[in-house]
Amino acid sequence: MTNEPVVIKGTKEGITIILEEKSNFEDVKKAIYDKLQSGRNFFAGGKVCLKIKNGFLNKGEREKLEQLLMDFGMSLQEASSPKTLIFPKPNRSRVLLLKRTVRSGQKIAYRGTIVILGDANPGSEIVATGDILVMGTLRGMAHAGADGDTTAIVAAFRLKPTQLRIAEVISRPPEEKEEVPSFPEIARLKDNVIIIEPYNVPK
Amino acid sequence: MSEVIVITSGKGGVGKTTTTANLGTGLALYKQKKVVMLDADIGLRNLDVVMGLENRIVYDLVDVANGMCRLKQALIRDKRFENLYLMPAAQTKDKTAITPDQMKKLCQDLKKDYDYILIDCPAGIEQGFKNAVAGADKALIVTTPEVSAVRDADRIVGLLEAAGFEDPKLVINRLRPDMVKRGDMMDIDDMIDVLAIELLGVVPEDEKIVISTNRGEPAVADESSKAGQAYRNMIRRLEGEEMPLMAMENIEPSFMDKLRIFFGLKARAR
Repeated sequence: MTNEPVVIKGTKEGITIILEEKSNFEDVKKAIYDKLQSGRNFFAGGKVCLKIKNGFLNKGEREKLEQLLMDFGMSLQEASSPKTLIFPKPNRSRVLLLKRTVRSGQKIAYRGTIVILGDANPGSEIVATGDILVMGTLRGMAHAGADGDTTAIVAAFRLKPTQLRIAEVISRPPEEKEEVPSFPEIARLKDNVIIIEPYNVPK
Repeated sequence: MSEVIVITSGKGGVGKTTTTANLGTGLALYKQKKVVMLDADIGLRNLDVVMGLENRIVYDLVDVANGMCRLKQALIRDKRFENLYLMPAAQTKDKTAITPDQMKKLCQDLKKDYDYILIDCPAGIEQGFKNAVAGADKALIVTTPEVSAVRDADRIVGLLEAAGFEDPKLVINRLRPDMVKRGDMMDIDDMIDVLAIELLGVVPEDEKIVISTNRGEPAVADESSKAGQAYRNMIRRLEGEEMPLMAMENIEPSFMDKLRIFFGLKARAR
């Protein structure tokens, strides 16, 4: 995580505002204000827990924050439990299922795996932190493992991409066009090179 | 039950205006429908020229939208074809001269009195495009058998889908069966494969279109024109008739041609 003085997280109980350090109170107040301002409608009506990692607020400061939160239509609650909540890192278990053709000029970006029931046409961009699976023809650009996951794959019913990217590696189809196979294929990273293999049903 | 159909393409020069002029004329001439052809290409109007009605323009689209004149004052009745009207675009203004809401209202007003309102959309995806599609119920997408035109058409389909158009139809223009046969041009299946929308018709390349466009007489009325025949077929499909695609002398490439396509055109097509 970055060294922002204020972090806002959504939890089961509502919204948690974590104050990273006991820095200058006015700075903290300003940071909270800016964050809430940018997501004004999103936060309205929420219940808020305050967590302070180092140090604490005095009564006056706490009241000032309460007032600020109320201005945004939120209410301050006592922290329900002292233990810090652990948020699972978004991973491949999250899946975005698209039942349509992704067309030129459209970009699909998702933290997790993307499955497309349809084609991804030239000029489209598919970006996932996990795997990409196209149940149709992949003709556009696909970037799997976009935040550095080198085990991510790109699989397509017909793999004819303009460009393939896995983690930090970028590749494009060879200039001299060999015949495009008429079976599903999988692209993966091997020794930092993108390789394409026929898709064989795992036994 | 009247319909507002926008004729669009993304790319310029693929034949939106020609398609609008021919479909509009055909619907009025062969189906006796009351048709308005609306030129939404403000600042670069052409539909009036293609229809040979340029010298009759007094008021235009922008005048109507801004309440400078009544709707009927701006509509030009085509004397050659009963029931055919043109709403010209302004030439001295630009796309910002009207808003999508004004277009919506204009289309609603026209729908009361006319069966078909065909909107000739400007090229591009900016303000002019947004204005042109604002009031439309249906969309026709014109493309030529070129990779760039198909790419732009794909972009337009995406934008139309986002705007709530359910099933835009495709018009393939300027197809040359001889080139397709040699494997030097994308064939119909290639285009349908990528765009995945329903085909309304295929217009073959035809010298007569150039002649008729310059004369201001739509080719659809020319019984001897092949392109005219294609437009007449499209009109019948628009009216709900089942019409097989025109036979264009064995458009399917041979096996050797297909091989050549693999090594030639398809490689560029990607």
